Amino acid sequence: MVQRSEPARRVIELAREEAARFGHRYVGPEHLVLGVLRDGSSGAAQMLQVRGVDLEAARAALGRLADRGLVPGPRPSDAELLGSLGIDLEAIRRSTEQAFGGKAVGWAIREATRARRRGVGRVPRTPLCDPPLLATQATYLASQQAKTLGVGVVGPELLLLGVVKDIQTPWPRCMNNPWVRQLHASVGPPEGYRGAAGPLLGLLGVDPDELGAALVAELGATVP
Amino acid sequence: MGEATSSEVTQVAAATSSQEPDVGLAAVAALRGLVEVLEALQVENARAKGWSWQQIAAKLGVTKQAVHHKYAGRRFGFRR
Repeated sequence: MVQRSEPARRVIELAREEAARFGHRYVGPEHLVLGVLRDGSSGAAQMLQVRGVDLEAARAALGRLADRGLVPGPRPSDAELLGSLGIDLEAIRRSTEQAFGGKAVGWAIREATRARRRGVGRVPRTPLCDPPLLATQATYLASQQAKTLGVGVVGPELLLLGVVKDIQTPWPRCMNNPWVRQLHASVGPPEGYRGAAGPLLGLLGVDPDELGAALVAELGATVP
Repeated sequence: MGEATSSEVTQVAAATSSQEPDVGLAAVAALRGLVEVLEALQVENARAKGWSWQQIAAKLGVTKQAVHHKYAGRRFGFRR
């Protein structure tokens, strides 16, 4: 695993915000594309802008994908769901962290969501977690590419390259187990969801192969 | 459009409350996730304070075997 640079972390943070804006309770590769565009300052964003893609167009395209059913429509967040039952999630988070400390709460979240003996009381996710990152295949491929190209750190360009590689590569079998399917079902992407970055770039008129080649060429130029 | 502001979504959640199965079941699932975290926290805390499985089980209203089966053998104590 190659470390992510500060801009890359910012891109993922912005991708989370974009996902929340659409009422999506997960972060997929399609949100990473929006995050890259929203950051705007990176070479990756310029690569997309050169191909005539801007943030507004990408948002509109993702909205059209939601209409087509490739990504889910807006759904209420856990805090809002619990609020409808009269439970204040933030108050619970605050009081438990005060009583037991943030480290203990983090440990309890891991315990509750991890595979246990015979699956007693195991839950795919808890309201105290962040929205799950369903773009781990893209981030993994980004760090693979970083190793191949000899780049020491994963920046936004490599993240975008990871998204492109994710479109080109079929997801491995380890991404299709009951555990992952349960997680997907609980956050709402449609059945058989494998990331919607491909259709998104398709709607925007960007050829992933050509974009990937251009990104590799640019990254190769920066590395001696 | 797939976009929605959070206030709209809140209205959806509030208006349909538990009448709509889609929202109601999701709310229950969220509640269960929360319960599991709180239970793990409290059981860990009780064990750290030297409570027996029997005592913990009595408080949780389950058998001692049940709570032992669920929580024993875990790497208890992130502090240790």
